Amino acid sequence: MTTLTAKLRDWQLALPLALAFAALFLAPLLLLLGVTFFNDDRMTQPGLAQWAKFFGDPFNYKVIADTLLLGVKTVAATLIVGYPLALVFVDLSPRWQRVLLFVIVMPLLLSVVVRTFAWIVVLGHEGLVNTLLLRLGVITEPLKLLQTELGLVISLTQIEMPLMLLPLISVMSRLEPNLRDAAAALGASRWRTLFTVILPLSMPGLVAGCLLVFASSTTAFISQTVIGGVRLIYLPLVIWQQSLVVFNWPLAAVASMALLVSILTVIAALSWLGRRASGAVHG
Amino acid sequence: MFTRRRMLAGATALGGAALLPGIAHAKGSVTAAIYPGTWEDAYRAIVMPALKKTYDVDLELQPLFAVDEVAKAKAARGAPPFDCFVLDPGPRITAIEAGLFEKFDGKKLSNASKVPSAFIDEWGICVGAQVVGIAYNPKKLPRPKGWKDLLTDPWVSRLGITGFQTTFGTVSLIEIAKQFGGSETNIDPALVELKKVLSKIAAVGQPAAMPGLFQQGQCDVMYTNTQTVATLKGKGVDIDFVKPDTGAVAFYTTLHIAKGSDAIENAYKYFDTVVSTPVQEALTKAPYNFLPANKDVPIPPDLPMKSLDEMSTYVLHDWAKINPLRAGWIEKFNKEMAK
Amino acid sequence: MGRRRSFSDIGYSFVIGGLALLALVIIVTPVVVVLAMSFGEGQSLKFPPTGFTFRWYAELFDASQSRQIHRAVGNSLEVAALSTLFGVLLGALGALGLSRSRSKAARLGESLFMSPLVLPGIAFGLAALMYFTFIGLRPSLGLIVAGHMIVTVPFILRTTGASLSQLDPALNDSSQSLGAAWLYTLRRVTLPLIAPGIAAGAFLAFMSSIDNVPVSLFLSTARTDMLPIRMWGMMESSLDVRIAAISGVLIAAAFVLMLLMEWTVGLTRRMRD
Repeated sequence: MTTLTAKLRDWQLALPLALAFAALFLAPLLLLLGVTFFNDDRMTQPGLAQWAKFFGDPFNYKVIADTLLLGVKTVAATLIVGYPLALVFVDLSPRWQRVLLFVIVMPLLLSVVVRTFAWIVVLGHEGLVNTLLLRLGVITEPLKLLQTELGLVISLTQIEMPLMLLPLISVMSRLEPNLRDAAAALGASRWRTLFTVILPLSMPGLVAGCLLVFASSTTAFISQTVIGGVRLIYLPLVIWQQSLVVFNWPLAAVASMALLVSILTVIAALSWLGRRASGAVHG
Repeated sequence: MFTRRRMLAGATALGGAALLPGIAHAKGSVTAAIYPGTWEDAYRAIVMPALKKTYDVDLELQPLFAVDEVAKAKAARGAPPFDCFVLDPGPRITAIEAGLFEKFDGKKLSNASKVPSAFIDEWGICVGAQVVGIAYNPKKLPRPKGWKDLLTDPWVSRLGITGFQTTFGTVSLIEIAKQFGGSETNIDPALVELKKVLSKIAAVGQPAAMPGLFQQGQCDVMYTNTQTVATLKGKGVDIDFVKPDTGAVAFYTTLHIAKGSDAIENAYKYFDTVVSTPVQEALTKAPYNFLPANKDVPIPPDLPMKSLDEMSTYVLHDWAKINPLRAGWIEKFNKEMAK
Repeated sequence: MGRRRSFSDIGYSFVIGGLALLALVIIVTPVVVVLAMSFGEGQSLKFPPTGFTFRWYAELFDASQSRQIHRAVGNSLEVAALSTLFGVLLGALGALGLSRSRSKAARLGESLFMSPLVLPGIAFGLAALMYFTFIGLRPSLGLIVAGHMIVTVPFILRTTGASLSQLDPALNDSSQSLGAAWLYTLRRVTLPLIAPGIAAGAFLAFMSSIDNVPVSLFLSTARTDMLPIRMWGMMESSLDVRIAAISGVLIAAAFVLMLLMEWTVGLTRRMRD
């Protein structure tokens, strides 16, 4: 039963947030957009020169593509190891769930500053992984892990794991446990139950997790530059160089807009998929 | 158990208190940006009490790197977040061009006569110098002689480099370029030579990550300044400084007053305290190891220079020429080094 | 019960178990590295550490040696608590509003509210400082709280939204058609069901505020020194071991907090039923 007043009331719930956003986010964002329309870094001549410069350089397209691809790879890696962990989580007794929940949020308790150092320790030339593999005789020369995209994705997987798992777990633990038993009783294999029952029903949490991981990994400037090194160039590095090193704010603003729009496009697509999936669940 | 009403009341009370803007500049205080690490430790330990004792002025220090200071001051145009800058030559020129400084009058300092005259200009005062050269791990590598060695074995495969983001990175790349026919305004030879050995280079890193990469053995030779080497060595890291055969690079560190500051008089008192003889003498001692900016202060034997006149034997660069080229160099470095 | 486990079911346990184990290894390894380093006797961050000492924790808690860190911790905690509090109030309400409305405006609002997460922090920090100065405000703790709330509220929105989208709309409708007041439905039906989502989001928001570098970099002042900025300086200039100890303290604190919460609120229990 939805009356007009009820509709109005629903909308009003989001009003305080909308107002805060207008005052604290949209206004600075518009200012940033305004900055892009200046040709020079001292912001005296209006014009579109910085847009032309950014989008006229094919190198920047590669950077945008690499940035989005990094997000996709991180989402994939996080999902592949994270989803099974969530499956294990919901099967545990409440006591063990408590323990595992604590373990899952641990990456968030490490400051980014010391976390990146820890990854240098793990992935480095003389790091844990290389030492272990050399001792075991699997390799004879240290592997190059630090300053590669592989190493970067591994390290991002760690910090993004809570972002994937928290929404996923909060949705999955609300699923009816009987569902799975029912599926099993009907003779479905566990794989089949996973793909036809659990996965579709956990879609809202999965999509929320993917969104957070994608957004957070594509903008993770410190991890990208410290662990990935500066031979792997992603947009946040370009934005940092332009805004904080050469002070060309119009160009930095254009790059920010490019990043914002390209990530939002991906997110909008993901959201749409998620909505369709959850729409299918609730009919 | 919280009731909603109590939570809301609590939120308003807390929020209300926190949202009141801090009272800017209580009487008798001055806010200065300072480099994190040794600079901050030293200024907190030595300058802060001296300023309080001599002039009864409270010094508030905000740790910021040079480029961050300029970015903040530029963004908060006219309402500077601090009264005094501490800058390297590159950001200093950017700030002058952007009109971020008040004009400086050296005559207002009671200690002006003790400071070498070249150290004071219309924009500020020089309070120290940094020396850049090569740092290496003596337990793993033989001592390199100069910049050219960095690009040959055994050093190149253990080399960690950074780009043009920092002052020390920029001057080092210029020096490498010079070894191959480049100059202060032409760094292309450095990029050409680096590209030839790029697959061997151990790390192309973010400047902030270099100490960590070095400590954990990801790279065993890099370029950096003497102060970083001294600090890390003091902490037990296997690291030694090499003055390259073609000379180490030196650049000055300067203090400036922020345009629009409402504590200009106190800023002068702060500068005066910094260059005063007792403060400068204390700053030259371990663990701070600053080069003095006061002629009355003898240079301790463990510093890389014997006297300030020696500054002229170091390689100095003209940042007025470098600054306009730097944006282009950064882009070039990105493209040449990108995987 | 008693069903014979098929080959594929054993494969299932093997694959899922193996991947979950891998996830745990990835999560735990850096934490162990940091904790190990925080007890090292060396003067600088180093792995493997030599010796065992509580010295860095002692220095960290010593008021005279770590006064600046204490100030920064205080500021960071205050900012994180306030920004999370406001974020939960506005974000949970916002998620409710958005989930019920099917209008285009609501969809647009949804992506707008997500955008602080994808606008690089440096760009937002810079723009926010320019904007606040423009309207005549000077950087202060209040502005940092505002900035942090904006960049962390998407976490709360997303996790709450995920819980909400799972909520059967029929539940609300039936409660309301049974004549229950709207507020009553919210309090007795909706909120308990989405509480885990809100809790998860609040935790993410709180921790990402504690660890925020770029927004704090631009909005902080000499009086509002923030923890991650200070740690960054300590890392870059001297590889100070205390930064590992700070993480050790944070983990210990979270552990104690978790136990307390178990005790009083029963977070996991709520998450389950």
